[in-house]
Amino acid sequence: MTIDADGTYIDQPESLAPGRTLTLTVNGKRHRTQIEDRQLLVEVIRNNLGLTGTHVGCYNGDCGACTLRIDGRITKSCLVLAASAEGADIVTIEGYSTDGLDALQQALWDNDAFQCGFCVPGHLFALSDLLDRNPDPTEEEVREALIGNLCRCTGYMNLVAATCDAAVRRSGSRVEPAPMQTMLSAPPPHPYL
Amino acid sequence: MIRTALHYHRPQSLSATSSLLAEHAGDVAVIGGGTQLLPKMNRDEMHISHVVDLVGLGLNEINVGNDSIELGARVTYDDVLQCASLREFAPLLPRVARGVTGGRQILQQGTLIGSACLNAPGTEMPGVFTALRARMRVYGPSGMREVSADEFFIDAFAVALGPGEFVTSAVFNRSDRAGYCKIKHSAGSWPIVTASVLRDVSTGGYAVTLGAVQAVPLRVQFDESDPLEIMVAKAVTAPWSDELAPASYRAAIAGVTARRAFNEYQGATS
Repeated sequence: MTIDADGTYIDQPESLAPGRTLTLTVNGKRHRTQIEDRQLLVEVIRNNLGLTGTHVGCYNGDCGACTLRIDGRITKSCLVLAASAEGADIVTIEGYSTDGLDALQQALWDNDAFQCGFCVPGHLFALSDLLDRNPDPTEEEVREALIGNLCRCTGYMNLVAATCDAAVRRSGSRVEPAPMQTMLSAPPPHPYL
Repeated sequence: MIRTALHYHRPQSLSATSSLLAEHAGDVAVIGGGTQLLPKMNRDEMHISHVVDLVGLGLNEINVGNDSIELGARVTYDDVLQCASLREFAPLLPRVARGVTGGRQILQQGTLIGSACLNAPGTEMPGVFTALRARMRVYGPSGMREVSADEFFIDAFAVALGPGEFVTSAVFNRSDRAGYCKIKHSAGSWPIVTASVLRDVSTGGYAVTLGAVQAVPLRVQFDESDPLEIMVAKAVTAPWSDELAPASYRAAIAGVTARRAFNEYQGATS
């Protein structure tokens, strides 16, 4: 924050960096925001639009915490210049489900699939993308879908179990959750050990 | 945040793109997918004032002809995986694409030619385009020209592009079989050594192209009865070193990586 000559507080000094007005549709609402050309999309989503459910873990395309759905495709928003997203239709975690928890979110909750929760927004987009393409994935397919998303807490076993559980729930063949199932039974064989 | 005062450009024609690149030569980069470029800029490892996005040019088609295949500059790894014709006529490409790290997010965004143009030694595409003996189609102030992959990858992080020039596509001959092996630490790691084996039309034998092992790809021609591991070990004279592996490790495993790729090739032929 700066103060100009007549004592006025200036919260956001005018930038000297090149910029433009960016128009986006985010979670169904049209936004027009002033950006600098050097801003990454994740920075615009978090800082300009205040949608801080999208997280930044690495700024390197590794962790997947910044994953959004852009024009129907899951995308790591730290790897996108905001200026290149002009006109895009974006869904963030705030718009992921408009009617309470969906089957995948509920399955993650019921299966203790996360601890600190930092990675969850990205995981939800990666896993829902999988279930939309493949409603009945194998454990190996779930693990492959998670290659682009890192979690340092859970070790992935419960994420895999929760996704398989969500697939069953989405198919309608079981409505009631089966909480703590994974933690009480023997862990499945781990293909990467 | 990227620390330079960046200007973003989205030209709508080849000539406008070339003009922008020429005007800002030495202070400009082309964005294909951006998955390697933007992290480098965000880490302040690359100081440029202009980026030119190819999104307005199309360049995202895969054309499979009777003899050759043309891959546009904006074709992504996922485009390759979705293309049935490539599985039949250029099996090396989908074989490599499915092992690229970063998940479906990266597969749908990263471009094969963008990766090739950055020519980072520890990546897949320089070795793959060299193995395919691709010709890179380059547009510039003098119009269109072709550069062979052998001449395109001139040094680590350097390719044979002059001021105002950029790659629009890569062209290569059909091939019906391929073997590939990538050594990496884990599913999410960059490659330490890659080996691509294809039939070598010029000798009637085979050629293995080692990627990530030196500053630029290395091709070794061989026959079935040759001592492949020894030939590769002799050919590796200046192994690359980075945070993933020291030069000595790359030199030590290059031969066995080549052998595994050839084993896969032979399995594909039986």
